[in-house]
Amino acid sequence: MSLGDVLLQQVINGLSLGAMYALLALGFTMVYGIIELINFAHFNIFMVGSFIALWVLQSLGFNGQSTVLTGFPLVGILLGVLLVTMLLTGLLGVAIERIALRPLRGVPGTAPMITTIGVSYILFNLVLLSAGADSKNYSNPMPNVRWEIGDATLRLRELLLWGISLLLMVGLHFFVRRTKLGKAMQATAQDQEAARMVGVDVDRIVVTTFFLGSALAGAAGFIFGLYYNYTSFIIGYNAGLRAFTAAVLGGIGNIPGAMLGGLLIGLIESLGGQLIAVRWTEVIVFAILILVLVFRPTGLLGRAAPTRS
Amino acid sequence: MLPLTGADAEDATLIKNGFMMAIDQQNAKGGVAGYKIEPVTYDSGTATAGQYDPAQAATNTKKLIADPAVVASLGPEMSGEGKAMSPILSEADMATITPTSTNPDITDPKMAAQFRPKGKAIYFRTVTTDAFQGPNMANFYAQVLKVKSVYVLDDSGAYGVGIADSFQKRAEALGIKIMGRDQLNPKEADYTTILTKIKSLKPDALYYGGVAQAGVKLAKQAYDIIPTMPNGGGDGVQGGSFLKGGGFPAVEAWYSTNAGPHMVEDPKLADFIKEYTSRYKTNPSDYSVTAYNAALVVMDAVKRVAEGGKEMTRSNVRDAIQATSLPTLQGTVAFDENGDIKDRTVSVFQYKKDPKFPDDDIIHQQKYIGAAPQS
Repeated sequence: MSLGDVLLQQVINGLSLGAMYALLALGFTMVYGIIELINFAHFNIFMVGSFIALWVLQSLGFNGQSTVLTGFPLVGILLGVLLVTMLLTGLLGVAIERIALRPLRGVPGTAPMITTIGVSYILFNLVLLSAGADSKNYSNPMPNVRWEIGDATLRLRELLLWGISLLLMVGLHFFVRRTKLGKAMQATAQDQEAARMVGVDVDRIVVTTFFLGSALAGAAGFIFGLYYNYTSFIIGYNAGLRAFTAAVLGGIGNIPGAMLGGLLIGLIESLGGQLIAVRWTEVIVFAILILVLVFRPTGLLGRAAPTRS
Repeated sequence: MLPLTGADAEDATLIKNGFMMAIDQQNAKGGVAGYKIEPVTYDSGTATAGQYDPAQAATNTKKLIADPAVVASLGPEMSGEGKAMSPILSEADMATITPTSTNPDITDPKMAAQFRPKGKAIYFRTVTTDAFQGPNMANFYAQVLKVKSVYVLDDSGAYGVGIADSFQKRAEALGIKIMGRDQLNPKEADYTTILTKIKSLKPDALYYGGVAQAGVKLAKQAYDIIPTMPNGGGDGVQGGSFLKGGGFPAVEAWYSTNAGPHMVEDPKLADFIKEYTSRYKTNPSDYSVTAYNAALVVMDAVKRVAEGGKEMTRSNVRDAIQATSLPTLQGTVAFDENGDIKDRTVSVFQYKKDPKFPDDDIIHQQKYIGAAPQS
């Protein structure tokens, strides 16, 4: 393998990781943008999403890796499972907001954040108890289609990962910028009180935000399973921590920032692993985060909306 | 004490069954010299670690020694747990017998101050250590696989780092070129970066020191990125957790070792296997046998203490275990003054799918290659 091919392969690897982190980072950043809360339950909504998608696939009769689809049935199944997963994780997010977080709205200090950590542990243990501790092989209907570019390989699953991520991110961007609900979200992020005064139903905005953020986490969970061919109750922690870092790196509260942060962290991981060593990856990622925060405390793109005064 | 929660649960259960079968059989025969043996099980795996957890092992050990009725312990499965348990056991003069944990530091007399501050051996094993398991596999790589260059990975655990180090040291001495050495975070999902790097370096083979949590992900992704490169590991990739988690085709052709003789296909064990499968509805592993034997050693020691008219204390049971010379299914079990078993056989296996048997059948989905060359 020539150096060029290796680097190309690592960029492909890094973009795949990054796209997943970006999807997950969006949920953190949206919730933070609206109610200035870091939602640690998000880690495990992602994990639950990968299990929901697995259960849906299994109930459709996909077991192990024996059934492979192509063409229209494949697109149909993937899209169907994706939508069901996003709907269910979205509702899970809404339920968490209703049950655990709304009663604490307006409580000063760290109580709401600690509550999200508690919710995260509840989800984690529920899956552990119901699904068991061993890692699950994913029922993957994707054919192993691959293209060789020099010595580098591009697989169908990478294209799928990038495609779904891009589609969701563009969709979210459009939703926030162009629709009435999206504009109300922006208004709420800028100034909750003022938004309420001009007739924005803030509760509804918060619910929408949780729904969208959690649905994106569910999508990321499904893609994770397809991409790595397994899932387990512990996948939330590492991916969640990186995604959270991505959100902070890009500027928490800032939607394009979360996407940029996710892609950057993915690329840093893969290129850092290639050029230095994998055991240093975490050190590199967090060192860069600290450096960025020292010189740009609001992250790379800063906060899109001015904070409340 | 075993990691019954997390990525190691599969193998830990096979081992636990081995302990329990020995104890149940003996109790059914009326116990040991009038004593009924009552097993108390502790789980040293935690959900947060997702696999064995040394901190939990230490906490459990403290609970164990606080119970005056406990005279000896069986376990742990993992060396990371053993390192945490050993100093606590030493203070309490309580012996444990591990049927699987192979890191040599724990019984190394040079490290006695750390792992057995009171001096006497308390960590006994019915398997040999990685001082033989890693190097003997390096011999196998050089002599049988004719490997000239290798990339070495570990999973950052006590066992994984130790066995990878000892493999690497012997491999270097044998003239195998080490193309690189790196460390996996077992909680990480993505190993494509390191595998791409390995692919670009083109070593003849890969050696992985570590257990199943990182191992199964490594196997799956290696199958995709470096499908033709020979892969191998120690007893961390030998057995049910790795086989079931990785699955075919990912684990196909992986080499692994056991720090003991290969027994479960031996006709002498037919009765043992029949009894085991009828009790637990699953096949035993070789480490189910070493676990069974570990329990026999403890009960034999208790019997000798009782018959010798000595008081049933932890320290008397320890002394009796030290003096063990017990014929078992793996041959005569006897320990050196550090607690290591005198038999130093290391067996080599290769996973090979046999469609006639279930995919997770640990006896039939791998081929026994032979004992690894000792030098």
